[in-house]
Amino acid sequence: MNMALDEACSEAIASGAASATIRFYQWQPSAVSIGYFQSLEDEIAVSRCVDAHVDIIRRCTGGGAVYHDFDGEITYSVIAPESLLPRGITESYHVICGWIVDGLREIGIESEFKPINDIIAMRGADGLDFGGRKISGNAQTRRGGVILQHGTILYDVDVKKMFSLLKVGQEKIADKLIAAVEDRVTCVRKLCGATKQETYDGLLKGFTKGKEFEFGKWTPGEFSCAKRLADERYRTDGWNRMR
Amino acid sequence: MKNGTATKKVVGGKLLRVKTQFEVYPDIQSSRMVESVQLTGDFFLHPEDAVSALEKSLVGLPVDADRGVFLERLNAAIQESGAQLVGFSADDIVDTLLESLQNK
Repeated sequence: MNMALDEACSEAIASGAASATIRFYQWQPSAVSIGYFQSLEDEIAVSRCVDAHVDIIRRCTGGGAVYHDFDGEITYSVIAPESLLPRGITESYHVICGWIVDGLREIGIESEFKPINDIIAMRGADGLDFGGRKISGNAQTRRGGVILQHGTILYDVDVKKMFSLLKVGQEKIADKLIAAVEDRVTCVRKLCGATKQETYDGLLKGFTKGKEFEFGKWTPGEFSCAKRLADERYRTDGWNRMR
Repeated sequence: MKNGTATKKVVGGKLLRVKTQFEVYPDIQSSRMVESVQLTGDFFLHPEDAVSALEKSLVGLPVDADRGVFLERLNAAIQESGAQLVGFSADDIVDTLLESLQNK
């Protein structure tokens, strides 16, 4: 339902029925999401996902495959009228990813936005240099005058499990000068002692700093729209296996 | 029907894979035509559904057409659909497409 909820919220904002929304959520069961343009068979070890009871879903956004471990990451979505964010794609990534950078700083992690859509950790709470490993990936789409950007912040990732479920080709890491795929990513737990709740609290501060906001729930209309989108699109093979 | 696949990791950009099918038509002088094109990868393209217009623009051309012919058709489709490519370019698509057709 997560991708369907993002889209339902986007539709509600496009029609004027909802205002700009920030979501934080987890995936239960754990899931692998692939980018809109990716080939499911090329990117995912499908039988291993089935054996591990890991869901597979195609996103409505581009970008790469992501393993959403229930315990190991925090996912966010920012869904807002285009008028509230910079018109340029890179500039709007920069703004929203800046909120993640601010949130990670709350728990002692120094990080920076790395175009096109990554955030890399530079230093942990003890000041040790981590040489720029990816801690967050993000993806954005724009429809009906609404920006939808979602992404993941790695908390305690099981890298071996992640890469057992994903097929990461050597082409992808060729220009990153790193041979081992496990050296490409890091997570909050490796960089500081923050609990997952403290990480969420830090991110909440980073995302809401300087903004008026209130905590809300899905409306019945948004929820029924999401259920329809999930049944008609996100749970179908026609969508998930379209490439 | 023959199949071709080629992959390019754009430096500082995204991964692009082009999958092609091409057919032999014995009664046509330029006998091998691009029958289907599929672009996959971790790139971004806005709006997303414009990708099918880009793919279709490359279908029906002879596999040995000049690079410029592919690029012209693709650029026209990009302009017409208003597609915005992030992490790769039209040149990357054509380079990778031509590599996928090497199996001709």
